[in-house]
Amino acid sequence: MTDPNTQRAGTAGVGGMIRAVASFLYRYAGRYWVSYLFGFAALFATNWAVVRIPTVIGEILNTLERSGAGAELGERAKAAIEPVSNLALELMLLAVGLIVVRTLSRVLFFNPGRDIQYRLGVDLFAHLLTLQRPFYARRKVGELLSVAANDTQSVRLLVGFAGLQVCNVAVAIPMHLYQMLRTDWVLTLWCVTPVVIGGIYMRWTVQRFYALIRSSLEKLASLSDRVLESFSGVGTVRAHVAEEAAVERFERYNRDYLELQLEVASLRAFAMPVLGLAGYIGTGLVLWVGGKQVIAGKLEVGDLATFTALLISLVSILTSLAWVLTAFSRGTVSLSRVQELLDADAELPEIAHREPFASAPRVELRALTFTHATREEPALREVSVVVEPGHTLGIFGRTGSGKTTLIDLLARVYTPEPGAVLIDGRDARGWELGSLRAGMAVVPQSPFLFSTTLRDNIRLLGEQTGHTASADAELAGPAWVSFGRARRRRGSQPATGAAGGADLTGAASVDDPRLAQVIDSACLGPDLAALPQGLDTIVGERGVMLSGGQRQRTALARALYRQPKLLLLDDVLSAVDQATETKLVDAIRSLKAASGGAVPPTTVIVSHRTSVLEHADEILVLEHGEVIERGTHTQLLALGGSYAAAHEHQREQGEGGTEHD
Amino acid sequence: MTEPGAGKPKAASTLALMRRFWQYARPHKRWLFAGLVVIPLVAVMTTVRPLLVKQAVDEAIPARDGPALQQLALLFLAAVVVEFVSMALQVYALQRAGHLSIYELRTAIFRHVLCLPARFFDKNPLGSLLSRSTSDVEALGETLSFGVFTIATDAVMIGSILASMFVLSWKLALISLSVAPLLYVLVRWFSAMLRNLQLEIRRAQGVQSGYLAEQLSGIGVVQLYGHEDHARTTFEALGDRYLRATKLANIFDSLLYSLMDGISAFCVALLLYYGAPALLGEVGLFGDLSGALTLGLLFAFVEYLQRVFVPIREFSSKIATIQRAAASLERIFGLLDTPREPRAALDHPEIYEGQDDPLARWTGAIRVRGLRFSYGYDDGAPEILRGLDFDVAPGEVVAVVGRTGSGKTSLGRILTQIYDGYRGHVELILNDGSALELRELEPDRVRRWLLMVHQDVFLFDESAGFNVTLGDRALEDDPSRVHAALETVQAAEFVRERGGLTAPVGERGGNFSVGEAQLLAFARVAARSPTMLILDEATASVDSLTEQRVQQAIERLLEGRSVLVIAHRLSTVRHADKIIVLADGEISEMGDHDTLMANDGLYADLYRSGFAEE
Repeated sequence: MTDPNTQRAGTAGVGGMIRAVASFLYRYAGRYWVSYLFGFAALFATNWAVVRIPTVIGEILNTLERSGAGAELGERAKAAIEPVSNLALELMLLAVGLIVVRTLSRVLFFNPGRDIQYRLGVDLFAHLLTLQRPFYARRKVGELLSVAANDTQSVRLLVGFAGLQVCNVAVAIPMHLYQMLRTDWVLTLWCVTPVVIGGIYMRWTVQRFYALIRSSLEKLASLSDRVLESFSGVGTVRAHVAEEAAVERFERYNRDYLELQLEVASLRAFAMPVLGLAGYIGTGLVLWVGGKQVIAGKLEVGDLATFTALLISLVSILTSLAWVLTAFSRGTVSLSRVQELLDADAELPEIAHREPFASAPRVELRALTFTHATREEPALREVSVVVEPGHTLGIFGRTGSGKTTLIDLLARVYTPEPGAVLIDGRDARGWELGSLRAGMAVVPQSPFLFSTTLRDNIRLLGEQTGHTASADAELAGPAWVSFGRARRRRGSQPATGAAGGADLTGAASVDDPRLAQVIDSACLGPDLAALPQGLDTIVGERGVMLSGGQRQRTALARALYRQPKLLLLDDVLSAVDQATETKLVDAIRSLKAASGGAVPPTTVIVSHRTSVLEHADEILVLEHGEVIERGTHTQLLALGGSYAAAHEHQREQGEGGTEHD
Repeated sequence: MTEPGAGKPKAASTLALMRRFWQYARPHKRWLFAGLVVIPLVAVMTTVRPLLVKQAVDEAIPARDGPALQQLALLFLAAVVVEFVSMALQVYALQRAGHLSIYELRTAIFRHVLCLPARFFDKNPLGSLLSRSTSDVEALGETLSFGVFTIATDAVMIGSILASMFVLSWKLALISLSVAPLLYVLVRWFSAMLRNLQLEIRRAQGVQSGYLAEQLSGIGVVQLYGHEDHARTTFEALGDRYLRATKLANIFDSLLYSLMDGISAFCVALLLYYGAPALLGEVGLFGDLSGALTLGLLFAFVEYLQRVFVPIREFSSKIATIQRAAASLERIFGLLDTPREPRAALDHPEIYEGQDDPLARWTGAIRVRGLRFSYGYDDGAPEILRGLDFDVAPGEVVAVVGRTGSGKTSLGRILTQIYDGYRGHVELILNDGSALELRELEPDRVRRWLLMVHQDVFLFDESAGFNVTLGDRALEDDPSRVHAALETVQAAEFVRERGGLTAPVGERGGNFSVGEAQLLAFARVAARSPTMLILDEATASVDSLTEQRVQQAIERLLEGRSVLVIAHRLSTVRHADKIIVLADGEISEMGDHDTLMANDGLYADLYRSGFAEE
């Protein structure tokens, strides 16, 4: 991982910026060196042809001039026809060759750019997958998406378009200058002078441009974040007729962005083309000074044409240089934004052990105190408890008492202080995350379902995704675009294949016995029967919307399917009805029986309903992060504290009602 | 080669798309015209320059006339400066018009999406919506501000150069432009290819970003369940599709660009091959050209040919960009063409803004007759509700109970018009006894008087105050109402603790607990004092300790208005004036708690199972 200081430097000075680009190129572009090498060769050939063409034209004109074109038609003129025709044929060949080499140079430069964008995107996503909650608490998803979509795009332009143009300029300018100097050096000086002045002015413009692009990318990111947020909350907006307010809010960001864009536009219109202007002034000078030299007999008229043509070609290269600088500045800004994410530290402590626990672990909290980074007050204070293997710990408390934080610390969503959380006597802090989590199943408070089938949501083995299965994913391009797609699919859709014939609506027809069992445990059977394709119904954003209770029970089934050694349930029964709750509590309890002699999973269950907790071996009552009462259900009732009061209240209220959807 | 049009939805013509885009550009047409007005100036300057050179080569130089040469050179420089200034003005004006239009379009999309029916959100993932309302518009913005408008300049420039060439010598013009038809065919073909590829690229991008958005939103589960490897592999596979399409597009793009470049030189070669012998007195393909030809003319022609292809090349690269823009536009208009819900605020502002909204006279009573509903009558989805008849009297608390799938949630969704397309009658009774049919009222009008409290609370990343007012002017102007609402739901205390109404709630309300968020959502309702309230298990996530407070708040919220409680606490059910028991989309029982218990039917079953553990 890169030191954060170098990263700061990377965003600061131009020197650091170039270094950042260089190290990026080394890492990503390095492997395409063959492509770039051939691309460079093609570029060289292109420029040779580009410079050669005006020279040939000049020669033809010179030959015509010398043979007294249009004047008396002597033998001298006749004799000139053949060389002129030959030169014209050479010109045709050059033209055809130019098409070939220019295409090659562009393809060979641009396609690695695409590959790099792809790899960068994949690397970015892979890295994001390793980052933990504290990171996601700071960064908004919309913002991350914008970096992944827009910024990698700009980086691609940096390595593709800008790379090509930079090389082009590096090759073309010396070649043009050489050819011009060979034709006439005095004339060269005359027309190069305005171009140099234009170039100096350009430097200043590019710096301003760089700053503008950076802020406009930031504005774009916050704009798309605003959009994502509003679309996610569209139900609320709709219910409260808040559309106009949402639009107004959006407009604020939209206008900010517009204003920056307009500033960029004025820079583009008035400052960017100055270089082109300088080039044309140079052409005017060529006509003037060169014309005088032709009159004086020091220069041939064809050379004048060559010179003008070379200058025009040079100016068009220099004009594109302005665009290169745009792409370059945009690309480096984006690169630093991507780099910032790639350098973001997972903030994980050093790994001390990585072997997963083999059986239900003993969980111990020793004076666990934890404060969230954004808060001053600790979320948990001095919580100590021991949960023996196979035992169940209940956590009770009101909203904001620290229940969820406790689960998060056990699941290592947050990193506890050293020695505060021990699993099987070993500090959870030093555990490698993958192996620690391999033995546990966590059901968070608000369940998340992926856009895939219910089956895959429970098994989470990842056979397919609703994104590829959707209509929008159908191929739109010409057939040959799909070449190789079949190969990529790797027989990865068993679920859809099976969906056609067999009746999959009930748990009975499920071929995976473990799946059938957890569906039963989570009381999902009747729900499956009501779904159009049963287990193969696509749920989540792209599919059928399940009710809150159904989502919770699916998440529970997902957890049980893993056959965890440590089960962490964060208020997962809040949206199910009383009858279902009873069954689910039984199902969780029966894990003990089902484990057949072996130790059942150690379970930590959070709830604000006493009915869920009554069978726990020990219950902690939390308030403001502190344990205010502890004991078994019976002990707590006898104690007559807040737990007992809540129990009484819930009994009276008959809390639970029916499941809502 | 495959037929480019095979097996795909027919792409609308670029022109039609652009014409439709015009509505966003029209308000800024002054800038547009300002930009277009200077085009002839730019074109004339570009055409004049080679003529000045021709003059110099044909007359001033052979005549050894120094002062005339100097004069021509100065004219040349003047033309260059005039061209620069007018070009800069033009570029600025056109870009300004472009950015302003895009700005309008962006708002239009945003506004439209917010008014799309819930069905649409059920089917379309947010990621692809996001990409359509930002990335697509962004792609459009980049191209429109350059491509579409400056293409006019290019067209005029090409036209004036061609005109000038034909005037100077139509025969030479024909010779040197003889490859033009071939060029035209190639450009057309490449453009069609690119257009299709662009569509595929946008789609692939949409799918990929949709996947990314989902995985990042569910990153917690991905990590806790060790699903990272699979997520990465899928992402790679989706990216691969995008990669392949873009690489192919690159090849066409490069070919198109290079072709233009090479053709320029090829035309010059043709000109010299056929023109030079003529100049030298040979009778060639086009007869005796000697009289008409001068060296200066050839000079000017060479220049013209080099210049005419610059705009043509630009033209073609702009066509490519326009293809991209067209692909974006097609997707954007596709989104805008998705029928939105009716909105009185947009469709009938006079009723919406006016004081004489008949709904103000709504008593809160509703009459439901023969209500049937399906989430998709067209798709053959099953009927969720199958003929309900019931009434809600003013101020009555009606509870709807039933097992999962009985249709109780759908009932709330129909009444708040989150889903339309019900059959039968839902009538709102006014105080003069007349009735309004729900489907004939715009949803936003109804929702001012009929509010639903959702089980999923959504907070915007703004202040606590904004989350209560949600930008409602009347509320914003009168903070005392907001405070009163917070008092009502007992949220005033923790809002004060966090710093009052201006306290930021954080992304998705991260600074507040789930329970507090719920109370804030209650405050929204309290502040609006609707005539009727639909309570959809609003207290789900509030723990019982908080709930004791909330319960009182709810009771106060219920006072003086009609209420339909869905998926409620049994305590509320017991106190409801009327209980509707739903089973399989039909009313199986109706009455108060005691009556229903006495019936010993489904309700009694439900009730007893709810207390099975006790």
